[in-house]
Amino acid sequence: MRRKVWLDAAAGALLVATLAAALAVPPERTMGDLARLMFVHVPAAWLAYLAFGVTLVGSAGYLATRRMKWDRLAAGSAEVGVCFNGLTIALGMIWGKSTWGVWWTWDARLVLTAIMFFVYLGYLGLRRGIADPVARARRSAWLGVLGAVQIPIVHFSVVWWRGLHQPPSVIRPGGVQMDDEFRIALAVAVLAFTAVYAALLRRHMENARAEEALAARLASEEVEVAGAAITAPRYGEVD
Amino acid sequence: MKRYLWFIIPALGLAGVVLGYLLFSLSDTLVYYRTPTEVRREEAVDSRARLRLGGQVQVGSLEAGDGRVAFVIADETAAIPVEHTGTPPQLFQEGGGVVVEGTWDGAVFRSDLMIIKHDEQYRTEDGEIYTPPADAPQGAGR
Repeated sequence: MRRKVWLDAAAGALLVATLAAALAVPPERTMGDLARLMFVHVPAAWLAYLAFGVTLVGSAGYLATRRMKWDRLAAGSAEVGVCFNGLTIALGMIWGKSTWGVWWTWDARLVLTAIMFFVYLGYLGLRRGIADPVARARRSAWLGVLGAVQIPIVHFSVVWWRGLHQPPSVIRPGGVQMDDEFRIALAVAVLAFTAVYAALLRRHMENARAEEALAARLASEEVEVAGAAITAPRYGEVD
Repeated sequence: MKRYLWFIIPALGLAGVVLGYLLFSLSDTLVYYRTPTEVRREEAVDSRARLRLGGQVQVGSLEAGDGRVAFVIADETAAIPVEHTGTPPQLFQEGGGVVVEGTWDGAVFRSDLMIIKHDEQYRTEDGEIYTPPADAPQGAGR
């Protein structure tokens, strides 16, 4: 198998560039060095949106075509998305403790982000609970479509409800509320995290394809598994 | 797929109703904090009920004491004097956004929990590259 490492290498290089850019920007006027958390918290949140959006595409693609490659796309993307959704919450808590003064509060954005995390954790749990690949793909595809409703709700929660979390600084009407230094560093960070997402998703899909091939082979051939040499004790037949 | 339709349709309907309720009916009570104007307007605020008040710390109003601070939280139209017990978070400052939790007796808001509210603007120390628009939200800086 030819190793395709260029994507991993590009993601790694971009991460190094992100670190350099995040350390190079001047301190923010009110938050100082704490504002540097933005360069991991915001791209992590972006990746959660992106990943769950791709899960929606994969789920809809599966329901339309019934081809397993769409299911692999949806599942792999959801798994990466859950990781980065969790990372968003963890980093947000650290940032919240140091700027707001609290680890957690019942603000709409915080609550909805946590709900999104658990819904997609449930998506992964649902997949583990169904043995038949076709039933698994079909049922999880419906959840993948329904769950995506949350993406715009989470993003615009800070606009719709008056809360503690600040409104969007970039994706908002009326221009970006950020100095050029922060904007450039954030763009690099978002690019780097997107490359990391692409690299992880590709590995995930390769693994899923290999697992499917193995399962198909085990099912079609009479391959002897290691445990076959051991038989269950038959108490009733022993004198 | 047909069997799941019986699950999908109610689920979508439920989600829609819940979202509509949150957006249009509960939006008044679903706010995280109330503004000074809203607190002033409500004559009948129960003096024992805890509520959250949010706004900007009025410049020049801050008086620091031993384990307590007094200041005024203001928005465009109203101001409320606050007596806070406890040490404020590191980023507490005049002109900055703040949310306090406590009781309001019609004259003084007594709080024991303070949370700093940061706005969506990220600016460098010189602050000259970005010029906020005229309709910039409250908490736009010092």
